[in-house]
Order: sequence, then structure tokens, then C-alpha cells
Amino acid sequence: MAIHERSLVEEDRILRKEKLVVDGIDVSGDWNLIILPRVIEDYDTSFLDEVLKEPEGKTILQCYQCSYCTASCPVHNYWDERYNPRHFIHLARLGLLDELQKRADVMWRCVSCHKCTHRCPKGVLVEEVLKAILRVMARRGLIEEYPSKKFDKFFLDTVVEYGRIEDGELLFGWLEKQGYKIVKDPILRKPIPFLGGTPKWLKDMVKKPIKSMNISFLMLNAKHMLFHPRTKNWNRFRQVLRKVIKEEAK
Amino acid sequence: MIGKRVAYYPGCSLEGASRAYDVSTRIVVKELGLELDYLEDYNCCGAMETKNVSFMGTLLLNARNMSLARQQGHKAIVAPCNGCSFSLQRAEYFLETQDGLLDKVNELLKEGGVEPLDEIPQTYHLLEWLYTEAGPEKVKERTKRPLKGLKVANYYGCLYTRPHFYSRTYSHKGGEDERARPRRRITADDDEHPFYMNALLEAAGAQSVDFEPMHTQCCGGPHSLSDEEVSERFVKMILQTAKKNGAHIIATECPLCHASLEMYRYRLILKGEKDVDVPAAYFTQLLGIAFGYSASDVKLQDNLSDPLPVLRSLGLA
Repeated sequence: MAIHERSLVEEDRILRKEKLVVDGIDVSGDWNLIILPRVIEDYDTSFLDEVLKEPEGKTILQCYQCSYCTASCPVHNYWDERYNPRHFIHLARLGLLDELQKRADVMWRCVSCHKCTHRCPKGVLVEEVLKAILRVMARRGLIEEYPSKKFDKFFLDTVVEYGRIEDGELLFGWLEKQGYKIVKDPILRKPIPFLGGTPKWLKDMVKKPIKSMNISFLMLNAKHMLFHPRTKNWNRFRQVLRKVIKEEAK
Repeated sequence: MIGKRVAYYPGCSLEGASRAYDVSTRIVVKELGLELDYLEDYNCCGAMETKNVSFMGTLLLNARNMSLARQQGHKAIVAPCNGCSFSLQRAEYFLETQDGLLDKVNELLKEGGVEPLDEIPQTYHLLEWLYTEAGPEKVKERTKRPLKGLKVANYYGCLYTRPHFYSRTYSHKGGEDERARPRRRITADDDEHPFYMNALLEAAGAQSVDFEPMHTQCCGGPHSLSDEEVSERFVKMILQTAKKNGAHIIATECPLCHASLEMYRYRLILKGEKDVDVPAAYFTQLLGIAFGYSASDVKLQDNLSDPLPVLRSLGLA
């Protein structure tokens, strides 16, 4: 017999019997599969309270578990069934932290496509709520540092510092953080894209404007890599930003 | 309805690696008799990344840009990037719906040496603005070299229509219900079946191929660098569907989607995947060509996926 939302039940809680006789009646066939019950004695709502304190987490209470979000989710449908937004919201509300923790390896994979939020019939900001859950989990040490969080921080740091981002810096800076060996020029310490351990696809990509002699494009990107684009009136604003971000991190 | 002259928030990408989008946007806007007022000294919108770290910080980043637009006397901001328009619209949503937030933000803006917001300007995606203020008729009128024979897969990406709380999109089918879409805007595109890009490119003579549901499938977006496995799978699906449906080219309207498609196209080709070699071009580049501009005018040489051979074979470049 098929189990509804199979990905939610662990293997060791499923009993399968070849032959099953209950009270003298042979129920083999369809009725030979049992999911062991689980007993939860108390609920810890402090996790929910913390999510509710997050500015984007407030709509979590409106959820009535219809699973429209999960049905729409591309990560659920095309990557891993275990990524299940409806279930994450359910677990967070009950405060079943160990269950949440079991799914920590997929929980960060949300690509922010907002299909969930868009289609929710109850007006839950699903994507934002999930990010709030992740943030509370990270604060409580329930989830390890995950790639997208590292990237988010890296991104924010650049924005706060310069006011603007630069594609080359993001790309090469990130690859360097991932352990790729990036060759840099000795004077300005800027990456040289087509040398060293940069991945092959990136070398191919950089070759295209070089081969087609697209000088102005190369010059523009080189200029931006050498002189990071900046917002001019930024110093005072940067201080306020730093202060606000620091307060929020507490 | 939106105005012929609006504040232009290009975003960081358009002044760097995606300058082709910026250049072609300006060409198209000029041809269609509209005007963009460049937002001086703007800052990054924070895209989809900073909001995961700091709520107030991201709000402030966008409030500063809104304030700049107000200083230049605008009530409408146009952003050509899905990420930028999303961020500004998201800030708009929270500032309008959460009590006391606007006052708090204004105080922080003052502290940072920025004029506080007297009014919250509305943000529109470039596509929404072009469709509303110029429309397919005007595009048809201006077309000197119809994109005859060009089969286009119109790729909208995620955040152009989603979520309706921010983008104010409405469903043309159930659009009358105020409760279902409390913030819907009459100029907005259809939410699940966007068609503005199809309409504009068809008016320029191109033929749109069937691309649903991949037209709004995610390209990996904010995870295109940090989660390569998932992004690669998504882009593969998008490219293969386009190829299967006979598209010569994918038309994009977001520098991030565009970069993601091009980057993963190189990877997938290296991996030996089949049917992934459809090139991408911004819809404004294609419109620019239809308006009689040359391929180098709209910077087609900048596109890393190289759409030039396809266009040449059809006699368009």
C-alpha cells in the first residue's frame, strides 16, 4: 500500500509483513504494512515564540496545512522529496526540534522562487517564514553553517562596505572561499580569471569575449575588478547599517 | 497610468557584466518615446541574499533608494531586474502594511544623512512599464526589421510575477476578487501565465514557442553560486524544454536569470549534456534589432552564450 507523503516517515518506523493474521483473519496483501505510532508527551512552544518575534515570521500561525506550498515547490518536486515547506512549518509550530534537525541537510536549499508564498490561500509568507525558521535554528545551534548562509553574509558584507556589488568579486571571492586556487596579480591582489585552478567552465566563459575581441566589455569588467564600484554618499549610512545589523544579530 | 517619465534604478549588474541590458533598454525606451531618469548615487538593493541575514538592514537599503527617487521628484521607479524590483516591492509591502515601521525607517534614514520618505514610491518592472506605457501597437509601429522566423522561448523567471503580495500581479481569471489579491494592480501581468514579453516580441515579428511551465521555473536564483547541484538541474530543465519546443533563442528580462542560464549552459555543455545549447538574449536586445539597430548597437557580442550565429542565419544580424 502506498504511504501518503512517504518522505516524512523514517524507514525504521515502517513494518512490512509478508503474511499477517490479525484475530484469526488473514489480512495479507494490502493490509500488511504498519507505521509504528509515535508518542509525543509535551510540546515546546518556545521555538514558535521565537519565530513569531522575527519580523517575517508572524504569518506562520495562519497556515492550515493544505500543502499547496509543497505541491508548488521546485526543490520538492525536482530535487528532494524531503524538502517539504508544509512539514517544516508544522514541526516548527509543534516545536519538534529533533525532527527539524534531521532535515537540516535539505532545509537550506530553498531557492527563493516564491511559488509557495504566491499560491498560499491563507496569506502565509511561506518563503519568509522558512527563512525565519532557519535563522532561529541557526541561533539555537540546531543547524550547521550552510553554503547559502555563507554566501548571504559574504554578499551583505560587500554591500555594506561599498554600497554596490561587483559580479567578478562575488564570483571569484566565492570560488576562493570554496577552496579553488585563484591566481592573483602580485601588486593589486586581484584575481586573474584564466589562470590557476579556476574551473574549466569559467575559463571557457572568459575566453569568449577575449576570442571575439570584445575590448570594451573586457575593459569595463577589468575596471570594475580593479576599482570596486561604490556609492558616493555612503559613509554615514554605512554606520547606521552596521549598527542596525549588529542589533539584529543579537 | 504609470507615467512616461520615471526614475530608473538599473541595479549593480547592469553597470557591469550585464551592460548589454542597460544599453539596449535605453535604446528601446528612446524609440518608444518614453524617458528614464537615472537614479543618481543609488545603492545595491540587497537582492535575495541580504534579507536572509538582516530584515531592517535590507529595508534600509531599499528605503534609501526610494528616498533618492522622491528627491528626484518621482512617484514611480522602474527596475529592469527581477531581483531589484522584488526587493523594492518587498520594502514597499512591509512599509505599507506594518504599523510604525515607516517612522522607524525614516528616523534611521535621517540618522544616516538621507532625506526621510514623505511618500512611498511604487516600483514597476521594466516589462510592466513598457507594456503599459507603450504596448504592442507602438512596438509594431516602430519595427523596421521584423524578427521574421525567430522562434523565441520567453523566460520570465520567478520574481517578475511572484509573490502577489509584492509584485501586485493579478490573475486575469479570478482577478475580480479583492480578497484574493488585496494589493493587485491593474497594470500588472497575469500571475501564473505572464504574457507581456510574448506580446511585445510577437508585435516585433517573432514567434513565441510554447514554454509553460518553464517560463516561470526558477533558474537557481540566489543559490546559483552557493547550491550548484540544484541550480544545474533547474537550468538543464529550462534549456532542454526550450530546445525541445523548437526555440532558437531564450528571451530574458533579468540579468541574474540571464547570467545563470549562460553560466550553467557552459557547464552543461562541458558535461556533455544534450540539447542545452540554446543561447539567451535580453528581450530589449531583440526589440532593438527589430527597431533597426545593429547587433553591436545592442551589444549582442557581450552575451556569453553567443546568439549571433542564430540571428545571422535568419538574416537578422
